[in-house]
Amino acid sequence: MTELTRRHFFGRSALGLGIPALASLLGGELHGEGLAGLPHHAPKAKRVIYLFQSGGPSQIELFDPKPRLKEFAGTDLPDSIRRGQRLTGMSATQLSFPVVPSKFDFKQHGQSGAWVSELLPHTARIADRLTLIRSMHTEAINHDPAVTLFMTGSQIAGRPSMGAWLAYGLGSESKDLPGFVVMISPGQGGGGQPLYDRLWGSGFLPTRYQGVKFRSVGDPVLYLKNPEGFSAEARRDYLDALGAMNQLKLDEYGDPEIQTRIAQYEMAFKMQTSVPELTDISKEPARTFELYGEDARKPGTFAGNCLLARRLAERGVRFIQLFHRDWDHHGGLPKGIPTRAKETDQASAALVTDLAERGMLDDTLVVWGGEFGRTVYCQGRLTATDYGRDHHPRCFSVWMAGGGVKPGLTVGETDDYSYNIVRDPVHVHDLHATILHCLGVEHTKLTFKFQGRHFRLTDVHGNAVKAILA
Amino acid sequence: MRALAIFMAAACLAAGQTIEFNRDVRPILSDRCFTCHGPDAGQRKTKLRFDQEAGAKIALTGGKQAIVPGDPAKSELYVRLVTQNKALRMPPAYMGHDALRPREIEVVRQWIEQGARWQAHWSFLPPRRVEPPAVRAASWARNGLDRLVLARLEREGLTPSAEAGKATLLRRVTLDLTGLPAAPEEVTAFLRDDSARAYEKVVDRLLGSAAYAERMAIRWLEAARYADTNGYQTDGVRDMWRWRDWVIGAFHRNMPFDQFTVEQLAGDLLPGATVDQRVATGFNRNHRTTAEGGSIDEEWRVEYVADRAETTSTVFLGLTMGCARCHDHKYDPLPQKDYYRLFAFFNNVPERGFIWNFGNEPPVVKAPTPAQEEKLTALDGTLRAAELAWEKKAAAVAREQKRWERRASGPWNITKGMVFHQQPDDPKVFEGGKPTRYGTDAAKFDYRDPITLAAWIKPSTPRGAILTRYDDYFEGSGYGLFLIDGKLRYHFIFRWTDLGMRIETAEPIALNKLQHVAVTYDGGMRASGVRIYVDGREVATKVLFDSQLWPLSHKAELRIGAGAGLDYQGEVADARIYNRALTAGEIDVLMSQEPLEALARIPAARRTGVQSEKLRMAFLDTALTPELDSVRCRLEEARTERNRYFAAIPTVMVMEERKDRRDTFVLKRGAYDAPSDEVTPGVPSAFTQLPGGTQADRLALARWIVSPENPLTARVMVNRLWQMLFGIGLVKTIEDFGSQGEWPVQPELLDWLAVEFVEKGWNVKALLKTIVMSSTYRQSSKAPAELLARDPDNRLLARGPRIRLSAEMIRDQALAVSGLLETAVGGPSVKPYQPAGLWQELAGGGGYQHGKGADLYRRSLYTYWRRTIAPPSMVTFDSPNRETCSVRETRTNTPLQALNLMNDVAFLEASRRFAERVLSTGPKDEAARLTSAMTLALSRPPSPAERGILGGALSRLKQRFADSEKAAMAYLAQGESPRNAALDARELAAWTSLCSLILNLDEMVTKE
Repeated sequence: MTELTRRHFFGRSALGLGIPALASLLGGELHGEGLAGLPHHAPKAKRVIYLFQSGGPSQIELFDPKPRLKEFAGTDLPDSIRRGQRLTGMSATQLSFPVVPSKFDFKQHGQSGAWVSELLPHTARIADRLTLIRSMHTEAINHDPAVTLFMTGSQIAGRPSMGAWLAYGLGSESKDLPGFVVMISPGQGGGGQPLYDRLWGSGFLPTRYQGVKFRSVGDPVLYLKNPEGFSAEARRDYLDALGAMNQLKLDEYGDPEIQTRIAQYEMAFKMQTSVPELTDISKEPARTFELYGEDARKPGTFAGNCLLARRLAERGVRFIQLFHRDWDHHGGLPKGIPTRAKETDQASAALVTDLAERGMLDDTLVVWGGEFGRTVYCQGRLTATDYGRDHHPRCFSVWMAGGGVKPGLTVGETDDYSYNIVRDPVHVHDLHATILHCLGVEHTKLTFKFQGRHFRLTDVHGNAVKAILA
Repeated sequence: MRALAIFMAAACLAAGQTIEFNRDVRPILSDRCFTCHGPDAGQRKTKLRFDQEAGAKIALTGGKQAIVPGDPAKSELYVRLVTQNKALRMPPAYMGHDALRPREIEVVRQWIEQGARWQAHWSFLPPRRVEPPAVRAASWARNGLDRLVLARLEREGLTPSAEAGKATLLRRVTLDLTGLPAAPEEVTAFLRDDSARAYEKVVDRLLGSAAYAERMAIRWLEAARYADTNGYQTDGVRDMWRWRDWVIGAFHRNMPFDQFTVEQLAGDLLPGATVDQRVATGFNRNHRTTAEGGSIDEEWRVEYVADRAETTSTVFLGLTMGCARCHDHKYDPLPQKDYYRLFAFFNNVPERGFIWNFGNEPPVVKAPTPAQEEKLTALDGTLRAAELAWEKKAAAVAREQKRWERRASGPWNITKGMVFHQQPDDPKVFEGGKPTRYGTDAAKFDYRDPITLAAWIKPSTPRGAILTRYDDYFEGSGYGLFLIDGKLRYHFIFRWTDLGMRIETAEPIALNKLQHVAVTYDGGMRASGVRIYVDGREVATKVLFDSQLWPLSHKAELRIGAGAGLDYQGEVADARIYNRALTAGEIDVLMSQEPLEALARIPAARRTGVQSEKLRMAFLDTALTPELDSVRCRLEEARTERNRYFAAIPTVMVMEERKDRRDTFVLKRGAYDAPSDEVTPGVPSAFTQLPGGTQADRLALARWIVSPENPLTARVMVNRLWQMLFGIGLVKTIEDFGSQGEWPVQPELLDWLAVEFVEKGWNVKALLKTIVMSSTYRQSSKAPAELLARDPDNRLLARGPRIRLSAEMIRDQALAVSGLLETAVGGPSVKPYQPAGLWQELAGGGGYQHGKGADLYRRSLYTYWRRTIAPPSMVTFDSPNRETCSVRETRTNTPLQALNLMNDVAFLEASRRFAERVLSTGPKDEAARLTSAMTLALSRPPSPAERGILGGALSRLKQRFADSEKAAMAYLAQGESPRNAALDARELAAWTSLCSLILNLDEMVTKE
């Protein structure tokens, strides 16, 4: 319908407008103007910054303290807790399932008294700004299906990502930047679980709704820079002639696609300025780097990406998706997790603080978390100093902050083993419904007809979690 | 599309024409009512259902009826749509549904008023060819297709557009049929040819070209979700290019589409199936597969079967079977049971769900190319000749052996492939805790290396480590031969829980008795390739774990008497490790301890088989004369070379049937671990069933799909061919011919084509020729504003198609225009340019290394396709990502495409070569060069206005480069092909940017 409207619009106006006027009308063209009738209700948040922690951070070491595990240490996970539930092939055939407590301590923080691990001192300091969900759960027990579910609402490839849905539904607010931007940091180990294009893909939506990757090596956006030796002035000459040629074609054929193409070349030209301006952090004051940490000076770090996320948010980008890799601690967890925590803690907290200080936290929703949690039992060899944890889909923790959610709130509870949820479960679909709700979108009504079905991000599930909505 | 439907419905409403149920009413009922009043029994709230006439016309409570023909006011269906009472209104407000739009309600009202005539769903009825009606401008029509189009246009009060100019038409048809632009000489020849058959000659030439087959193949690859990697998580490699080449070959030979279908779905089941026919079945092995650690085998195996059932439905039947996986279909008469009956056809492959990450997963077939086949035949010949030469020496060998036996002596045993041998002086007795260590360099083996472990043992306890390279932790990593609970056990472990192999003897072996034990593994990654021998006899084994799919990283050292946290008590002697799987006969020889002189003393006739064999092996190994040895060496070499060559021949993953049929169950909610009723294979119940007495296997399914009774297959295929030429299908919902799909905008035309297709023997080339020869196709794509406004998507066909080229065509065209294109057909996939770092940032590892030379300039259908990180420029221009079946062509228009075309090295290099071509081969004056450039690119000269713009741009660009040779050189240093140094760099730089501009023109990326 939007496509047709647009075509009709150009069909009528094709010959009436000059290029510059058109380009400004098309400000949001890359990710469209959104659908009529959206938002469905007054949005609390205008944009989302999703700090995805890929690999499955351990809730037991970060957000879900379980003091009684010290008593249970080394004992086999009781059947009354496991309840015959399936395990991944990586630990299902282990000969024993020894319970292992966190090596790291927890304290309560802020007026809200939220429990946060010693691994996350900066996050602890913003405890009163956070909505902590300790009762997240999912069905998927392996990375690929689990991350795919988190990003697209289905374990199987083919559905649009959350950002694509929002770009499609709400369009872009930015005049010269894409509405859906993706940034990736590998983690110091450089390894970790791979990511896949589909996580920010458009699925069955038109490809223009897919996330645009902002990269730390090469061009920040693919093919952004003019080739060496070809100046911006030469590009202007080139585009003027190209536009004039295409205009002749438009005069002859009247095809509105030609009009759009003319505008897209102008938009591309603008991006050649707007993107480098965005990624140029040389004018950020020293205070920025005190806040985010010195890592934020290095392109491609999580801290650097957090800083860019704030700059993108300032420019009206709708959905900013970060991925930090390497939280998959099957073994060597006591060594691995402090490093990941150190890479992400300060900048995550800084981003929330920074947005708050700029008055943007009220209409920006920040989300932090991975695709599943980790098992209370040790995977692999348990020694005095070392242990690992397998994937655990039955409970894990995610925090949110900002537009639309209640600050200083902890939701949900797990059993003494952090194995099963005992209160207020929140499924991935529920989280999606909640995020959409904050953006003024009723999740059951943002649909796209494909293969005869009205598909939506939450499939046929999900409820916005009322308890955490501000 | 909905807008057009409404527009047409509106036209009908306005004209007071008859409302057609299928065209006008069913889409409304399906979309808004079927969820609760449709085929899904689980969701039906009452007996009232609108997917069947009987169900829609049942008596309701209170003597009411949903539909009273001729009387909307008495028809509950209408009353409930318009009632102001929210509690009664349908669709129900309490379920969050909005009321129908006034126009939709009006359609329903008029339909009832006009008598509520019901129609069965159109696509489930066989297509029939209607006699094209009389038309006024009959001379315009060249064939039946044209008459149908024209009749419709006349009904709509429209007239066809004039025929496109010759140059435009040539470019259009060449791009459409080959995916490449017309070469300049082809343009010249066509413009000069005034004969009546000039155009037809072009069409025939194009249809006969290899480029045609490549162009046809790429859409098929997308439908078949073809790729070079597995598609999940670490996304390992696979080799399916022999299947891709089969597709190209089939299109090139114009294989009838029914045969094309049968061979891909069930070629393996055809009587006397050839390798080619088995290769064809790779179609249904192209789905994604997972090697992610921890994956649950059955969960993913079920996913693969589901993918096959759904892809087959989409590609051949245009049915959205996937909607019936978890419950009855909500819109079409496809109960959940039908889904699993279709699923059952594909559920009998001997396969795993958790697969090998580094190559083709069984079942596979060796698929040599014709050249490889030839070479293999030659190598077989050489081998046979070497065998004969050796056989000829049999008498001489026997003589020599006899002579040697007189002096033979010593404790010889098999040495070929021996990589470790416990020496006679090494400790033999172990009392626990004192292993013999042989270091970390000894006997390194990986998971695909064949191996033999053998020793004499006399254990005194039932638990111990005999010969191992294994961590000091039972669930650790490594390989070894153990004694566990008295049973002999072989471990090869990368990760205890999911990656490795564990096999033990069915029975315990004797304690405190000296016995010979051996285990062999053939390198085939399956426990079925492991044999265990005790005292030379192969014994029954029990497979404890069978998932040896991952390379081993060795840390532990080779030890006798320790490993896996165990020690050993008793004796171990003469332990050996071989880098090959010894045969049963060799194991016999291995345990024979008689010295050679003892064997030689036994008269030949009285020797046992093992004794003779051992003597012969020892002789061949140690005492052959140089002359005879060279004959034998030639034989060994010939065999090794043949085997090595054979091993390197590509394979294709194919379909195969298990002997013991796997049972299929309806899966509740589609979940692998929730089986309910058992089902047998069968076709969907809404259609004509398989003929009685037919064995319900894939072959029967395939034949049913292309049977005359099947109403869908031909329609679905011709619709896709129509989309390929006109950019949009006659049914726009290419993937859905069900009730939620679009009603065909020109049903008579779709049926005419479908019938024509089948009657001509499913002849793809003939059908394409019929279409491109038509006046409909040949129309100019210029459209007056009123026509554009009235019919923006050109569904009525009052003009020719004008659509953006597909991703691969845009690149291939640039390569062709520049002269860089490599036209070789088939072969392994190649890696053209790609921005650095794309693979590393998502997946780490070594990253993408682009190819060299010709590999950079092959047609894009040969580009290596990594599913999780697809080639960026292809995806930017709307290529499907090949993760799942995709049949609908989509086109977007974004600034990222502009950046891609302007700044990607592939297009910059093409621009430079294009410029070099213009400057070095054409005329010298600028005006003529502009003509030559435009003709090369667009098959036409520039207009005077264009000449002005391009000439002006060129002179400005020349100025930009005039005073900077350095900038010019930098700009020209794009791509790996050398620059033509004879040309002035500044001149060439200006022309290069002008040529880039031409490659960026709207007309360039558009077929018009």
